[in-house]
Amino acid sequence: MQSNAALEYDYTVAKLYTYTAIVFGFVGMLIGTLIAAQLAWPELNYLFGEYGTFSRLRPLHTNVVIYGFTVSGVFATFYYSAQRVLKVSMAESKFVNGVAKLQFVLYFIAAASMVITELMGITQNKEYAQMEWPLDLLIVVIWVLWGVAMFGLIGIRREKALYISMWYFIACFLGVAMLYLFNNMAVPTYFTSGGVGSIMHSVSMYSGTNDALVQWWWGHNAVAFVFTVPIVAMIYYFLPKESGQAVYSYKLSLLSFWGLMFVYLWAGSHHLLWSTVPDWMQTMGSIFSVVLILPSWGSAINMLLTMKGEWNQLTENPLIKFMVLASTFYMLSTLEGPIQAIKSVNAIAHFTDWIPGHVHDGVLGWVAFMIMAGLFHMAPRMFKREIYSKKLIEAQFWLQTTAVVLYFTSMWIAGITQGMMWRAVDEYGNLMYSFIDTVTVLHPYYAIRALAGILYLTGFVMFAYNMVKTMTSSRELSEEPQFRSPMA
Amino acid sequence: MFHWLEKNPFFFAVGVFLVIAFAGLIEILPNFAEASRPVAGLRPYTVLELAGKEVYKKDNCIACHSQLIRPFKAETDRYGQYSLSGEYAYDRPFLWGSKRTGPDLHRVGNYRTTDWHENHMWEPTSVVPGSIMPAYKHMFTNKADIATAYAEAVTVKNLFNTPYGDDIKAGKEAFESYKPKILAEAKKIAAEMKNQDVKDAVAKGEIPEIVALIAYLNSLGDSRYAAAK
Amino acid sequence: MGLRELQGYASFFMTIFLVVMLYGYIVYLYRSEKKGKKDYEKLGKIALDDEIDSAPVNTSDPLPDEKKEQNK
Repeated sequence: MQSNAALEYDYTVAKLYTYTAIVFGFVGMLIGTLIAAQLAWPELNYLFGEYGTFSRLRPLHTNVVIYGFTVSGVFATFYYSAQRVLKVSMAESKFVNGVAKLQFVLYFIAAASMVITELMGITQNKEYAQMEWPLDLLIVVIWVLWGVAMFGLIGIRREKALYISMWYFIACFLGVAMLYLFNNMAVPTYFTSGGVGSIMHSVSMYSGTNDALVQWWWGHNAVAFVFTVPIVAMIYYFLPKESGQAVYSYKLSLLSFWGLMFVYLWAGSHHLLWSTVPDWMQTMGSIFSVVLILPSWGSAINMLLTMKGEWNQLTENPLIKFMVLASTFYMLSTLEGPIQAIKSVNAIAHFTDWIPGHVHDGVLGWVAFMIMAGLFHMAPRMFKREIYSKKLIEAQFWLQTTAVVLYFTSMWIAGITQGMMWRAVDEYGNLMYSFIDTVTVLHPYYAIRALAGILYLTGFVMFAYNMVKTMTSSRELSEEPQFRSPMA
Repeated sequence: MFHWLEKNPFFFAVGVFLVIAFAGLIEILPNFAEASRPVAGLRPYTVLELAGKEVYKKDNCIACHSQLIRPFKAETDRYGQYSLSGEYAYDRPFLWGSKRTGPDLHRVGNYRTTDWHENHMWEPTSVVPGSIMPAYKHMFTNKADIATAYAEAVTVKNLFNTPYGDDIKAGKEAFESYKPKILAEAKKIAAEMKNQDVKDAVAKGEIPEIVALIAYLNSLGDSRYAAAK
Repeated sequence: MGLRELQGYASFFMTIFLVVMLYGYIVYLYRSEKKGKKDYEKLGKIALDDEIDSAPVNTSDPLPDEKKEQNK
């Protein structure tokens, strides 16, 4: 160990990603709320000409919240917690620090270009992989840099045993790398056609059913490795640290990890039930989706049991509230997902609003709650000030929880209504409803969903305000809090 | 052995990679060659149709429309014969979508006309009262990117053996000499349309996005099997 | 034997192998704790005691005096 007594953790990069998480979170949720409202009130499609239609904005919403907000949150919490669980400061290696800073700069460029190209309609049109090939290449560079920083930090660690959070971050790195590369295999047409047409355009190396398989192998596992694995990494660090309770069963966390790694990847084909992919693959996807409940609940229950005997903290500390509710929503959505993956349920649920409903109880209730709690926990340590307002966090918590509940209940009803109406037949076996009947009937649910969006967005603005106030004008702390984050 | 896996980050990473790569190898690789074979008599998209597919992608129609008819009576009654794997052989990327806020479009060419699409894209509620689809008036003025569509045809012909004729080949001159054929196809569509600006543009040798898009939508369905029937 | 068949066998045995590994790992975890060779639960402390100057937990091996206690 160095004799330098002034050695401290270096949060420069973690701070940068905290800022982008707040900005992209606001932008992404704002667009999300707008497009939710467009479905209820179509006149809202014409606010920005061709750039404001639902169809153009919808991938922008998903990409900004995934690659802007969530990924920023992942990098912020990684650059914060990895130092701490490895007991090594970024400041100890100029190389690692430099790589991390370069990664941030490139990340910001890529994210900004993503927004611009997608508004222009330059897209591969594969869900959650819309970005065209030049951006894909940039993302590969960013990802490699992350790997270099991660393994560089691991290389100089003092804590020899890798904490479970690090396992999950490593898995996130590897999983996304593999899936992203395979799914984005495309040929830029400009170079193969002797310089005709747009340089941005590319054509997929896979066609039809193959493309669908690769795409949903990616699409599903992007959920695994962006929305689950790194978020689990966060909760394994932040919940014990904030509550002062060690993980209930470390062994269970190790087993859940391997179970999740093995099972998750198989489940991708449940997005393609009743499609033209071979039956055995559909069945495989269906079965493994159900098996997936085990490792998911393994982690979630482990988190809840960590609070054993300390449930009073739930009423006293709003950050604990966020995290406990996050793992509860994680349990809910990992139960709901397998139910939707059962073939007979899927026949009704697929293509309906139940699916966005399911996604959102995961992302609003689990991912965003966890990221916000993590950033709140980090703020007093990074900025050496107490959190600006506890009251505001409490209010935000209730507002957003109400929003999530409104969101998924309205979409449950909408989805099942729609699914049942599509298949309803009269006594002679003729279809009872024309398609438009199944659209107009959903208006009230779309309106409720838009309201839920407004509530959640308001909550996020409160979060952003609270964070900015914490950074700038809150009471300064003389020493770093050990467990519970101090708040006024 | 396990002790060693827990301690060494490199071997740990290799272990994780093997476990996660396994499912992909099993589920995707074995079927690759078979799933990419076209059904008998299927022709590839024409260059104009490819340009229309680019419009479909650009305005992200898959956000609300699927192109996958599932094998249920309710779906075959509504949209026609259920979808077959070989019908997608020339779809790069696949455009199945994952959400039906609007109806399926896999066989929309069988039951909708150029005229219907023109009215619908200009003002959806004029043909479907209660529709929540936005109007796409900008497609009537924006020009379709024919060059890029041509480049795509050249690429899939040379790299993936998509059966295009010998007149589709690399190079700017080849594109210029192919252009009249694309225009001739666009004129047929424009002749069935009412919008005077679109007609004028096509007469001048320009192709508005709407013309390409309608060509693409009309190709979804039986007309792509014309050769076999 | 065709390629497809070979792939079938390969996947079957790979699955069996991974399942055996997973169960083997469970057995390993509990056995090594019972024998007092390791203490996995101690690793949970890494998150709690994470100051830059705090002593590393380092390994999952239990401290010498703990070992003695367990052997009593």
